[in-house]
This record gives sequence, C-alpha cells and structure tokens, in this order.
Amino acid sequence: MDADREEAGAAGTEFTLDSSEELAGDPAERPGLGPWRLTWRRLRRDKVALAAGVVFLLLVGACLAAPLWADEIAGTTPEENHLSDKVLIDGRETEVVDLRGKPIGPTWSDHFFLGADSNGRDIMVRLLYGGRNSLMIGLAAAFGTIAAGLILGLLAGYYRGRADSVIRWLLDVIWAFPVVLLGVALGTVLALGGLELGPITIAGDSLAIPTLVIAIIYVPYLARPVRGQVLALREREFVEAARAQGMGSLRIVFREILPNVASTLVVFLPLLVANAILLEAGLSFLGAGVQPPNPSWGTMIAEGVERIVTAPHLTIVPGAMLVATVLSLNIFGEGVRDALDPRSKVRIEH
Amino acid sequence: MAIGLASCGSGESSGSGGGSGDASSVTIAQASQPDFLDPALSYTIHGWEPMWTTYMPLLTYKREEGEARSELMPGLAEAMPEVSDGGATYELTLRKGLKYSNGTPVKAGDFEHAIKRVLNLESGATPYYLVIEGAEKYLADGNADADIPGIVTDDKTGEITINLTEPESAFPFVLAMNFSALVPGDSPFENMSKEPAPGVGPYMFTKVVPNREFVLETNPNFDENTVPGVPVANIGTVKTVINPSVSRQTQEVIDNKLDFMQEPVAPDFISEVLERFGPEGTEEQRYKEFTTLSMYYFFLNSRIPPFDDPKVREAVNIGLDKPALARLFAGTLEPGCSFLPPDMPGYSESLDSGECPWGDPHGAPHLAKAQQMIKEAGAEGAKVTVWGDNVDPTPKVTQAYADQLNQMGLDAEPKIVDGGVYFQTIGNESTGAQTGFLNWFGDFPHPSNFFFLVNGESIQPTNNQNMSNVDDPHINKELKALGREPDLDAVTDRWEALNEYLIDKAYLAPYGYRKLSTFVSDRIDFENCTQINPVIYNDYSRWCLKDK
Repeated sequence: MDADREEAGAAGTEFTLDSSEELAGDPAERPGLGPWRLTWRRLRRDKVALAAGVVFLLLVGACLAAPLWADEIAGTTPEENHLSDKVLIDGRETEVVDLRGKPIGPTWSDHFFLGADSNGRDIMVRLLYGGRNSLMIGLAAAFGTIAAGLILGLLAGYYRGRADSVIRWLLDVIWAFPVVLLGVALGTVLALGGLELGPITIAGDSLAIPTLVIAIIYVPYLARPVRGQVLALREREFVEAARAQGMGSLRIVFREILPNVASTLVVFLPLLVANAILLEAGLSFLGAGVQPPNPSWGTMIAEGVERIVTAPHLTIVPGAMLVATVLSLNIFGEGVRDALDPRSKVRIEH
Repeated sequence: MAIGLASCGSGESSGSGGGSGDASSVTIAQASQPDFLDPALSYTIHGWEPMWTTYMPLLTYKREEGEARSELMPGLAEAMPEVSDGGATYELTLRKGLKYSNGTPVKAGDFEHAIKRVLNLESGATPYYLVIEGAEKYLADGNADADIPGIVTDDKTGEITINLTEPESAFPFVLAMNFSALVPGDSPFENMSKEPAPGVGPYMFTKVVPNREFVLETNPNFDENTVPGVPVANIGTVKTVINPSVSRQTQEVIDNKLDFMQEPVAPDFISEVLERFGPEGTEEQRYKEFTTLSMYYFFLNSRIPPFDDPKVREAVNIGLDKPALARLFAGTLEPGCSFLPPDMPGYSESLDSGECPWGDPHGAPHLAKAQQMIKEAGAEGAKVTVWGDNVDPTPKVTQAYADQLNQMGLDAEPKIVDGGVYFQTIGNESTGAQTGFLNWFGDFPHPSNFFFLVNGESIQPTNNQNMSNVDDPHINKELKALGREPDLDAVTDRWEALNEYLIDKAYLAPYGYRKLSTFVSDRIDFENCTQINPVIYNDYSRWCLKDK
C-alpha cells in the first residue's frame, strides 16, 4: 500500500470495513487505523481464509511434532527399515512387508498407524518428517526468493539504466525456462555433484540444494512485479520530496520505497510457499529434489507409484497432505491479498 | 550384460497394439526399444532375445533342457573348434550351403567382417575380442578395411582359423555370443538397428519402427537341416510392441490381449498372477520364474577404511539380512551366499544350503555378532557412504543396506546417483567409493565371466570394474592358471574352490541371484514350448500355439 492510500485508510474512507458502532459515532473522533490493523480486520471477516490458515497451522504443528510421534508412539525413525519385522494386528502376527514385497496397510494403532512403505518404514513417521522437510524447503525457498527478488527488483527499478538492463536480462533468462524443466536440470546436476562456491560447500543430498534451486527459479516471478512497482514509486512526490531533502539513494530505497512494496511481499509470501512446496514435491517425485533417505511427500509418492493398486495408501496419504497444505496456503494467501488490497490481482503464473 | 528391469512404467498412452488372435502370429511387448537391433552392438536382454533367433554365430547353445542348455554346440560351424597351440588357436569350418535370410551365400570371410564391425563400432563387447592376435592394433589404427592378422579365412573351403595372443579358456563362449554372429561382408560399419542386416536364424527382421514396434517373420532360407539341433520357428510372425507401462503389459497378458511380456510382472500384480497362473495357481499355468546367471552383491572396497579391515567385511557379511533384501525384489531374488550363481560351473551349492561361513542366507542374520565384530575392529560409528543408482529397485536396496549397516554399528548414509553415471562414478578411484550396490548378469556360462570382477590385474584408476579392489595373490594366480585350461569340466572343482575362497575372505557381500519370469497368454502352449536358456532366456523360435 502506498503512502496516499495509507493516509486514506487512516482517514476512515474504507468505511465498509468499519464496525456498525464505529460508523454510528462521530467520524472526527473515529480512531485512525494503520494498514496492518486494517488488513487484519479485513482478514478476520474472511472466514474461509482464516479456516485455511488454521488448517495450515495444524499441519505445521503436526509436522513439528514428528519426533514426538516417532519416539513416543511409533518407536521408530523415518529411515529405519522393518523388512523382516512382524506386527500384531487383532492378535495375529502380520509381516510388515510380505515375501512378495507388499507392505502392510494402515493399522490405526501406534505402530504403522498409516501402514508401511516397501522398505518397511512407518508411513506416518515418514509423512510427518517428510512434511517437515517439505515445509522447511517451502518456507526457506520462499524467503530466499523474496530476499533475492526484492534486492534485484529494487536495484533494477530504482537505478534503472545499465543495472536494470543486466538484471532484466538475467531474469528473462530464468523466466525463459519452464519451471519444472529448469528445476529438474539444476536439481539433477547439483544433487550429483553438490555445490562448491568458494568456502561454501553443500553436499548433493542436502536439503539446501532443492531449497536453493526453488528459490532461484521463482526469483523472476517476484523481482519483476517489484521492479515495476519501484519504477512507479520512484517518480512519486514523496520520493521526490525525500530526494529534495538531500536523502541518499540507499536511504530513499529503504525508508521510502521498501515500506511501500512490503504489502506486495506479504501477499506473495503464502503463494510462494505453496508453489515452492508443490515444486519441491514435483522435483522430488522426479528424483531431482529431496534425496533418499530423507523423506518428503514427493519422494513418498514416487516410491509408492509402483504399488498403487495393492498399496494405494503409499501415494494417497502423502498426496492428500500435499493437497491440504497447498490448498490451505493458497486460500489463505488469497485472503491475505484481498485483505491487503482488494483491487490487486497478484498471481504466480507459469 | 545389461538388464533393463523396469518395475513400473508410467505412460499408459501407448497401447500394446494388435493383441492376439491371428493363428500364425503372436504379439509380445517390451517396455523400451532394445538398445540396438544389430548383432555387433546389442548388449541388453531386450536385444539379445530377438538377436538369438535372427543371427547365428559359429557356435551356439544346445536347444535342450537341464544342464545341457548351457553347453555349446556347433552353430554355423560344422563342428566344435579344433583347439591347438595350448589353447591359443581355434580352427573351424563353415557349414556348406548356408544362406542369409536375403538369399546371399554365407562366406567364411563374413566372420572376420563381423568381428571388424564389433571393433569398429566400439561395441561394448570389444574387450572379448582383443585377445585375437592383431585386434588391438586394428582397433588402434582405425582403418576399417585393414586385416586382422589373427583371423584367417578361406571362402572356398569355409575354413576359419583364429589365433589368440594367449590361451583363453572362455573363448568358445565368446564365439557363441551374438557379437560373433555372421552378417554379410558388405554390411556397413554403422549401427544397422533401423534396417537390421540379414542373418542366419529361424527368424528375420521384416519391419522396424523405432520406439514403436519390430516384427520377426520366419526365415525362408532356414530349415531343420540348416543347423541340425536348431529347430525352425513354430510361429509365423512375432510382433514386438514397445509399451513402457509394465502394469498395462501385465494386465494385457492376464486378459490374453498380449501373448508375452519381456519384463518381469509388475510388482502390483505379482500376487494375483501367482495365485491364478503360477505353478500352484487356480487356473492353467502360464507363469513361471527362473533363476538367471546373475549375482547381486555389495562391493566392499578393501583399500579404504573401514572395509580394509577383514573383520569389518566379515561383520557385514554376518549381519546382512538377505531374506529382507529379497523382499525388495518382490520375491524375484533368491537369497544366496555364493559368488558364482546356480547353473554356473563352479557354483558351490553347499554355500546356499547351510555351509555359508556367514550364516544361512535364507535365515535371520547374526546381528549381535556383527555388532560385536565391528566393535572389536574399532569401527563403531565409522562413516560409510553407501552408493546406489536410481534405477528401481536399487534405491530401496541401497537404503535398506545402509540401514542394516547402521544397525551393525556403522554410521552409513545412502548416496543415490543417476544410473547413467553410476558406474563411472564408483569406478573412479578419486571417488573413493567405500561400498555400494552392484550386480552382474553373466554373458556366458563360464566362471571367468564373473571372476574378472575380482581380478587384481583388472584394477584401474578409472572405469574400474573390480569395485572391491580385490587384489589377492591366490585369486590372481588361480585366475591366470584357470584361464589357460581349455577343458572347463576338468577344472570345475578348482573354480568351486576359488569361489569358496573368495566368499571366505569376505571381499564382497553377495546376497542373491535374480529370478526372471515367463508369463504368456493362454494361446501359447506353456507346458511344452516355453523353454528357457540361462543366457538368452526366452527363445521365441521354440514357442508354439496350443492346438485348437
């Protein structure tokens, strides 16, 4: 939200969002509301978005509790194989994986609550740990994208000229590749050889690799709108006023322009997280994301495909978690966007 | 030999096509196009099965059952070779009146041309032929038309003399490989997969549409007298369609819409197929499993800690849960302890029946003992990277193996790399691969075809195949001596002793032999016409349809 609209909001012209008590009172005495409080007030009225946010938080909470479930209830780790083990079901000993490789289905008890995979690993434990990995990658990649996209967008939009040309060229190069294709290419190469950048070394099987790949891929999707917004903002009166007061470029960027693009970043964040989680799952499914034995919803689906008829839980369970997470984030993100600026139409389209 | 064992295809779009119904033809499926449809180049089972029926080498395998099916017999040669010069010279004579499928007469000189094609096209089989005198120079010079001095042929008499640089006991088996099959002398020095060269065999290629289908039809120039012992084809046309979905292939064979699938049955369907069509199934049998000349093992790099300590290697062998690993193959892995597989001369049956020094391969592992040995060796918590490729089921096996190593007390992490670069990566000394997944499918039933994997003289800094870096003076000496013995039967007990010695030293950790399957539609006479060759597997030319 820019400075003008901030002032308008404070003056109470957004009357449709005010409560009946407030509307009944004297407009002159009505307290001024900051943009974030206004946003919260609008968001509170979007019950669907709030519900989606709660669902997402529940999923995050469940995934954070993965060690608790693994240690206290399931008594296993996400990597531990139980190929030759047996479990008691209705008083009967049942093989976790039978001689023909078919894993046990959901037992709805503490051990193998959601069944086992082909390696005899507890699906519930892997699901929660996989969720941690997926969420961690999604969040880290989204913040990485925001950091890089913001810096590039600010530089290109504010300084224009040569900096703009170089940055735009760089963004166009990344933009030119289909997301999944670029992700698979980068993910495969980096998973094989890892990454060495001076003193920084990242092993090929590190979660940092898919995080980095996803963060890079989405940079243009954020940097370009930020650049456009900064291009418009730098010509606004309040920026000219700051310049006239003798403010330096860096100060103008950080004190005057950055606060005005913050709402865009807030709108983008949940959408970016959702897209990053989805892309991570896709890359992991294709073998270019999270590397074994680390679990992720994408790798779990990939591992379960060959048993989709006899052991559908191997694909359905992580698939359902993925859908729930991405859907809740998207709905919540849409709600945040509407709350911040009902007129905006921010989308991540690729 | 490379074996493509697709466990599950993804695409459901391409139909298997055709289906069954034509009395004189069958439709079969493969999950992918064979690597090559050229006898000089094909090095996968997808290619070897059609090669076997369309190209005949000088020697071939007996079309019989039992142990005899691994024995050699004359193919295009009149008789088995006369071996002289201590096993370094092979003399053969071409049968009279042979014709290729296009009617061109077969000449003795075509043999040299076939070997030149192998060398010129840089076939994967090239190393087998470098023992021929002058072959290395021919390869190095790069002149395709030059002569290989070690091969002397006479088109008039049909005589072929092959001089080797040193005696090589396995050479007759090399002469029975499809790479040695004769093709016309004017066949170009290029990959002929799109338009396969004429050959001598029960079938001939009549149509090839890459990545879609290829068709074999009976060869009009081949009858029961062409090569005595090699029957003519029973079925007029064998159409192979490429269908990447193994699940769909399985369903279509179940429904009799497809007559045979080259891939193993999809894991999802294997229980159903066994229950209905297996040896003890509820319906007429049309499914069987057979053990191949293969061995699955984990290499243990004896040059790098912790596996440079024999005690750690022994602990791994003791603690390895082989029946557990077999479950990852959906029951198509027979747990075993021997390096040489069943059906291979030198195979030690006793190793698989209770006398394995590391415990019964079908029983539970001695985990406590393994943990104790790791402790005693001071290797507890030692970091180990377990290598594996990304071709199913290797990732699962690699992860299960890493987990088992962790249970033994090591600190193991799996590392999965792309199948396309796996062997180059772990075969490079600078990688320092400690342990990982390996398997070997024999190219022919001679122990040397397995033991080169542990020959100390074969160790090299790149593209190394002796991943365990076994450099044992006793093994090296025996391999040299046995390699000169022309009569395999006479030295089978020595191979067996060497096999047991290798296992006893725990240079690697074998855990089983792969089983493949034959699954056909109910049109095919399963009981009488689905014989298996241990090297080539399914012989299309011996299939027959049921009498209606």
